[in-house]
Amino acid sequence: MDVTDGAAAATESSTRVMIVDDHPMWRDSVSRDLTDAGFEVIAAVGEGTQAMRIAASVRPDVVVLDLQLPDVGGVDVTRGLLSAYPAAKVLILSASGEHRDVLGAVKAGATGYILKSASRTEFLDAVRRTAAGDAVFSPGLAGLVLGEFRRLATDPAPDTPRLTEREAEILRMVGTGMSYKQVAERLVLSHRTVQNHVQNTLNKLQLHNRVDLVRYAIEHGLDTGPASGPASGPASS
Amino acid sequence: MSLQAPLWRSIAVFRFASLVYAVVLLTIRHDDYRHWGWAWVVIGAMIVWTVAITVAYATPARRTRLLLGADLVVAILALLSTALLQTTQARHIGAMPVTATWLAGPALAWAVVGGARAGAVAAVLIGTCVILLRQGHEPLISGNQSTTLNGPIILLMAGVLVGYISTLMTRAERALQRATEIEAASRERERLARTIHDSVLQVLAMVQRRGTEAGGEAAEIGRLAGEQEAALRALVSGDGPASAQSGQLDLSTHLTREASALVSVITPADPVLLDERAVTETSAAVRAAIDNVRQHCGPAAKAWVLVDDEGPTVSVTIRDDGPGIRDGRLAEAAAEGRLGVSHAISGRIRDLGGSAAISSSPGAGTEVKLRVPRTPQPV
Repeated sequence: MDVTDGAAAATESSTRVMIVDDHPMWRDSVSRDLTDAGFEVIAAVGEGTQAMRIAASVRPDVVVLDLQLPDVGGVDVTRGLLSAYPAAKVLILSASGEHRDVLGAVKAGATGYILKSASRTEFLDAVRRTAAGDAVFSPGLAGLVLGEFRRLATDPAPDTPRLTEREAEILRMVGTGMSYKQVAERLVLSHRTVQNHVQNTLNKLQLHNRVDLVRYAIEHGLDTGPASGPASGPASS
Repeated sequence: MSLQAPLWRSIAVFRFASLVYAVVLLTIRHDDYRHWGWAWVVIGAMIVWTVAITVAYATPARRTRLLLGADLVVAILALLSTALLQTTQARHIGAMPVTATWLAGPALAWAVVGGARAGAVAAVLIGTCVILLRQGHEPLISGNQSTTLNGPIILLMAGVLVGYISTLMTRAERALQRATEIEAASRERERLARTIHDSVLQVLAMVQRRGTEAGGEAAEIGRLAGEQEAALRALVSGDGPASAQSGQLDLSTHLTREASALVSVITPADPVLLDERAVTETSAAVRAAIDNVRQHCGPAAKAWVLVDDEGPTVSVTIRDDGPGIRDGRLAEAAAEGRLGVSHAISGRIRDLGGSAAISSSPGAGTEVKLRVPRTPQPV
């Protein structure tokens, strides 16, 4: 699949997208939307193992990932993809939005989550922002991340990540459907600052998750040296 | 692993312990016997039989009627041998038979295998022999009668009781097995349901997307598909029933029922457990808030319900994207005696010891924030 010509293509032509979805219908539709918008769809696969196998060779900038795959769980696919090609950004595109799966995938390194019921414009915007390295928070994801920090708040361990007042406030606003722009206006902050706060909450969770995995690996004698990525670790969460 | 295994182990322990008792009795009560040497032969046979039967009973398949019958016959023969071995005088004063308490073993084994009734039958058979052993030497009506009957009656009670326990254990084991099977089946059903739900959701989302883009009549179909999609997702994204411990319910599951194409309910991944009353009242308050959104902001306004579990308190925020409420409008409404917002919402929450705050800014919708304490304050 090649880049279509036209004005739109010029801006997106450098973004390489891989689609992982077991529904051919969705694979085709998403692929067409992306190609029409000028993205370069470099692969569209239906299985998690296949996606993990080819990730390193096709080098996607963005992976649009459905969590419900027939062969591997969404969390493991996310971890496997990022371990095979760490430069990739994973955007979850899910139909059912199972809480545990979404939270697990985000902790494993996915940076965005959007429901399949989102409009084409919302979806394309999400891919664009993911490619730019921004976290894409739907209200649902903000609620899950907030909930996860609330759960961690009961953990007395000193290295447990905590939310700052500001971060909690922003997550609550995003969780009630406010756009970053609305949040920025309400709090008299720049759009960028809001984006950074949101991003920060995600980074803290992902870092904590990695530390947890390493600790687990060491405790269980699975530590095979610094070169091995967390993909060789156990499936946690 | 059978639940009856401990019963068999206790029977084995009892047999060996009572065997030791019989040996001690025979050693110290030398005078009671006419044929002391032959009594030792009987004891020897009892030792051999105890070892053999314990080994045999260890395997469930070998606990046959034949073996159980043989066990009973051996015990009765050993018991009756007392008639030939002991002195008449000893039996007159009601000395222990050569088997002592060892004779209870088969009755217990019968009870474990066949329940209370089998235990009773074996106990009665052994007990009858014990009485017969005495009967030849004592009149039925005598001072010793009561002590003669003591042993058989205790044996009968033991047989019935052990049999009853054994039956209970068998039943418990069956119930446990059934529960495990049901759990496995429902897990499998759940797994299948997830897959099916996801497929249906995929199709509905696709119809909604394509329909909306096509416009016209297709857009209407798309809108309907979107509604069904939201309803189904709300149904499946609640992660199953919460652990219903001590009358607590999951607030998230209850609020998720309010989700629709226009109302998003955002919850943490873990259940938010609250008292039943708190969940019911909070859900009612949220419903009232959503009704307000419909009433004041029109049928197309979107709303978000965010559940935030802060630990000691649980907060629920309901926000809409309507035009918002002008400054002072809420106070005016309260002053005019139209307390719809205040009462249906804050009244319920205040009863739970919590608070409700309404804030609004023009252009940014209206926000109702409910805070409910974990342990309700006494009113």
